[in-house]
Amino acid sequence: MTDKLVTIEVNGQELQAEAGIMLIEATDAAGINIPRFCYHKKLSVSANCRMCLVEVEKVPKPLPACATPVSDGMKVYTRSPKALAAQKGTMEFLLINHPLDCPICDQGGECELQDVAIGYGRDVSRYSEGKRVVADKNIGPLIATDMTRCIHCTRCVRFGEEIAGIREMGATGRGEHMVIGTYIEKSVDSELSGNIIDLCPVGALTSKPFRFNARAWELTQVEAIAPHDSLGSNLNLHLRDNKVMRVHPKDNESINETWISDRDRFSYEGLYSSDRLTSPMVKKGGEWKEVSWEMALEMAAASLKEIGDGDQIGTLLAPTSTLEELFLAQKLMRGLGCNNIDSRLRQGDFRMDATQNSVHWLGSSLSDMDQMQTVFVVGGNIRKEQPILAHRLRKAAVNGAKLHYLNPIQIDLNHRGDQDVCTPGEMAGRLAAVAKAAGVKASGGGASLLGAAKVDESAKQTAANLKAADGALVMLGAMAQAHPDYALLHTLAAALAEATGAQLSILPTSANSVGAQLAGAVPHLQAGGTAAERAGLDTLRMLKMPRKGYLLLGVEPGRDFWNGSLSMSALQSADMVVAISAFRSPELEACADIMLPMAIFTETSGTYVNAEGRWQQSRGVVRPQGESRPGWKILRVLGNLTDQPGFDYIDSQQIHDELHKLCESSTLDNKQAEPQNLEPLLSADVLLRGGDTPLYACDPLVRRATALQQTQDAGSDTIRLHPQEAARLGLDGSDTALVKQNGNQIDLPLQLDERIPQGCVWISTGLARTSTLGQPFGEVTVEKA
Amino acid sequence: MNVFKNYFKSLFLLELFRGLSVTGRYLFRKKFTIMYPEEKAPVSPRFRGLHALRRYPNGEERCIACKLCEATCPALAITIEAEPREDGSRRTTRYDIDLFKCIYCGYCQEACPVDAIVETRIYEYHFENRGENIMTKEKLLAVGDKCEAQLAADIEAQAKVR
Amino acid sequence: MTVTVKDKTELFSPQICAEIDRWIAKYPAEWKQSAVMGALMIVQDENGGWLTTELMDRVADYLDMPPIAVYEVATFYSMYELKPVGKHKICVCTNVSCMTNKSDLIVEHLEKKLGISFGEVTEDGRFSMKEVECLGACGGAPMMQIGKQYYENLTPEIVDAILEGLE
Repeated sequence: MTDKLVTIEVNGQELQAEAGIMLIEATDAAGINIPRFCYHKKLSVSANCRMCLVEVEKVPKPLPACATPVSDGMKVYTRSPKALAAQKGTMEFLLINHPLDCPICDQGGECELQDVAIGYGRDVSRYSEGKRVVADKNIGPLIATDMTRCIHCTRCVRFGEEIAGIREMGATGRGEHMVIGTYIEKSVDSELSGNIIDLCPVGALTSKPFRFNARAWELTQVEAIAPHDSLGSNLNLHLRDNKVMRVHPKDNESINETWISDRDRFSYEGLYSSDRLTSPMVKKGGEWKEVSWEMALEMAAASLKEIGDGDQIGTLLAPTSTLEELFLAQKLMRGLGCNNIDSRLRQGDFRMDATQNSVHWLGSSLSDMDQMQTVFVVGGNIRKEQPILAHRLRKAAVNGAKLHYLNPIQIDLNHRGDQDVCTPGEMAGRLAAVAKAAGVKASGGGASLLGAAKVDESAKQTAANLKAADGALVMLGAMAQAHPDYALLHTLAAALAEATGAQLSILPTSANSVGAQLAGAVPHLQAGGTAAERAGLDTLRMLKMPRKGYLLLGVEPGRDFWNGSLSMSALQSADMVVAISAFRSPELEACADIMLPMAIFTETSGTYVNAEGRWQQSRGVVRPQGESRPGWKILRVLGNLTDQPGFDYIDSQQIHDELHKLCESSTLDNKQAEPQNLEPLLSADVLLRGGDTPLYACDPLVRRATALQQTQDAGSDTIRLHPQEAARLGLDGSDTALVKQNGNQIDLPLQLDERIPQGCVWISTGLARTSTLGQPFGEVTVEKA
Repeated sequence: MNVFKNYFKSLFLLELFRGLSVTGRYLFRKKFTIMYPEEKAPVSPRFRGLHALRRYPNGEERCIACKLCEATCPALAITIEAEPREDGSRRTTRYDIDLFKCIYCGYCQEACPVDAIVETRIYEYHFENRGENIMTKEKLLAVGDKCEAQLAADIEAQAKVR
Repeated sequence: MTVTVKDKTELFSPQICAEIDRWIAKYPAEWKQSAVMGALMIVQDENGGWLTTELMDRVADYLDMPPIAVYEVATFYSMYELKPVGKHKICVCTNVSCMTNKSDLIVEHLEKKLGISFGEVTEDGRFSMKEVECLGACGGAPMMQIGKQYYENLTPEIVDAILEGLE
């Protein structure tokens, strides 16, 4: 595209437009409305709806504005008799087969076809023949279909092909028999699938959880920030009667463009789950009793003080909490002499904390992501961790970037990329091979591995691509961070990045993973993101060396932890567990002694710092349910009750401002001060468990979103393993098997999957049953049930 | 002269007789008065009285929860909640009309695409307890069932002019 | 359920693979999916004249296409059959030229003779009938196509003779 400007004239108004862009882009920029259905700014031009026909001088026929490039001196008329007649004719044809069921259509009131029919159509139909009827399809629990209403704009088809990268929908048949669908009965499984609801200009594709619940004109729109992945996608919440009815994306070109992931779109359902904690509760003699807020808070403060020795308390904070909550929680606990504060609940190795004194982050801005030329992802299934980020990586790949993956499982990519699949035990070795190929010397961290590494062709290729690229990333994903040798992987990746001139990227796993480090909600950093004066215990050591008391904020024992069974045993053995939580669960009730109901997402104001370090604030827009209160208010009162100074905040803005001041000079940096020499902890010679956290098992809110839990990405309590591995273990033909890990055992259904490397069995974490086992990567035995 | 005229007029009670002649005329004419409540005034098919929800002849409720009546109601007297029924059709789970708010303008009836919400000819009703002013879906359907024959006839009669 | 990583050579027999590869070779390497029509034809002939969803999936895998893209092609063109057909597929043109030359008589005759109508298969599986649009043989209207052969200037007697002549 050139920067050359051309001058065109639209309806007598002179416009400057970049040469080569389509007419509709120029008129959109100038605020001149041309009706359209199939055109969408983020999708390719298909020019099949013909609604945007306009008259161009010296052209005998009307031209589609979406497929006509501007040229110098062009004279366009969008409302001339000829253009109007063309638009009217098109509209009449579009309405021939469109049913008149607007009163029962969820799109009614926000329908592009309705609007355009009013603006450009005839008032009375001349068509009296029968209309076409198309059978509805069941395409999964998220999207409801009424295909009779489809006008064949193919936006959903193009979205699948161009944005989601997996083409699941298509147009089968031809002429009047053309039907948009999946042809065979199957669900649309893209993690971005909800966006086709927004794209559909008519009511053919609508939201299933929202079905028939409200009308567009009843809803109030407010802004919010998505609280799940580390991007902080901008959302528009649609409210009615103090209730979130649905979630739409809000355009933000530098973060989520116009898309949001299904997780952000449908997780609101969890807010209205029946196990919301709505009043403060205290366990007395094994029975839960509702108590007043005063009593609960006083008991919590007294019990925290009673433990006396701050070092005997463990503080575990959910990384999806707001920045204010994280900051106040650590301020409260550090004030009580407790430095054992952590929010990295799913991290597997904390050995590099000792040498880390900076805030880890994405390593690049999000908008630079699609400009990368080489990305090497270590231990990450980005699509199923942070779908919108994966979309950016896919854009880079489509633009010609080279993507390399090193994973303990073969993942489904929606773009071209090389995958190196090995067992969890071999990952560090393979990474070392790439580092060695890039010329990293066998010294410092991971020296022995570098020495022993065998450089093969693929390692050489990866290293060469990293070196050659102008803009390259070495990215450590969630599976790398959950690896028991994460410190080693981190050291090797840092060395590789330095040797190749690439950026090191540590993918923040949660909405406030970066924020937690800035707020001091990690043992080795204090508020402001600088090294803590006295480092405390990390999550793993807090659980391995059980404390007398724990404070939990938004955390669910078992399912939220790297090692579910360890978290349960440590918390159950404690004398006192104070849980500030939005939800109650059997696990929490088994561990906690006091439960304080907390307002979450939409109900509380707060800040999220996203992966690139951008601070985004969102307001509390609906009343907290029952007696629950915003987390920062609960923590403020606990601060007052434990006689600490500096807890007299009037609103969350004050907390934000205080922390923002502390963070003024803080920088985001993935470098380690001085890499230590580390040895791998995970043996490569035994049968290992591999495990990811499924997309919809990551936090308490998502786990309660019923529609999302019915999708494939919710994960299942199964053992997946390679058929040959199953044969080797003598599990041929059995449906279930007994898994033993760290002395815990359960029997799970067996699923053969050739994507799992041999020498490894795949058991996801964060699920109802698998969280009673141990860590996602570690020794495991599987035998006949 | 005038003095004489007035004198005669008052002496022979002319005004009184003229007045009595009017009374006398009406005394023998057909009477306007009706003996309410024993007798009822005639009611137009367009009369806008108590609301009702209608059903189709097969017993299926007409209302499809499109919420146009709720949107058009100038007094905000209608409250509707909806969700998919078991068979997947769009139905209300709540349809309340607050009769204290309602101004009987008939817009709801105008807006309804399926002739579900209508105003009947019923104008005699009262409330004895708090909360009875809310016409729930059940009450509205019951009124509809009672008046269906009349409602169908009224709508038929007006079909040409609507 | 077993998730398998596919080995392409196992999708079809070696002869079919070779035939499809010949089609693939006609197009640039990055436009492998251009061979989809040829591949579908080969696979359809091999399967007794019709395509199953499973066969289309295999073609998709073989050509690295999304399955829905193959379904789109197969449902668009009338020469692909998605339901079982008879051994001899009788395609009768009923478009304008043939219609004015009394193709409806031919259709009527065929229907009476075979006891089936358009879209159906005879009980013995020998014949099926299909209504098609213009096949470009208007000069010989009315016409029909059986297998790969055109039969023109039809009368009921000629049709009888043709059907006799088929195995």
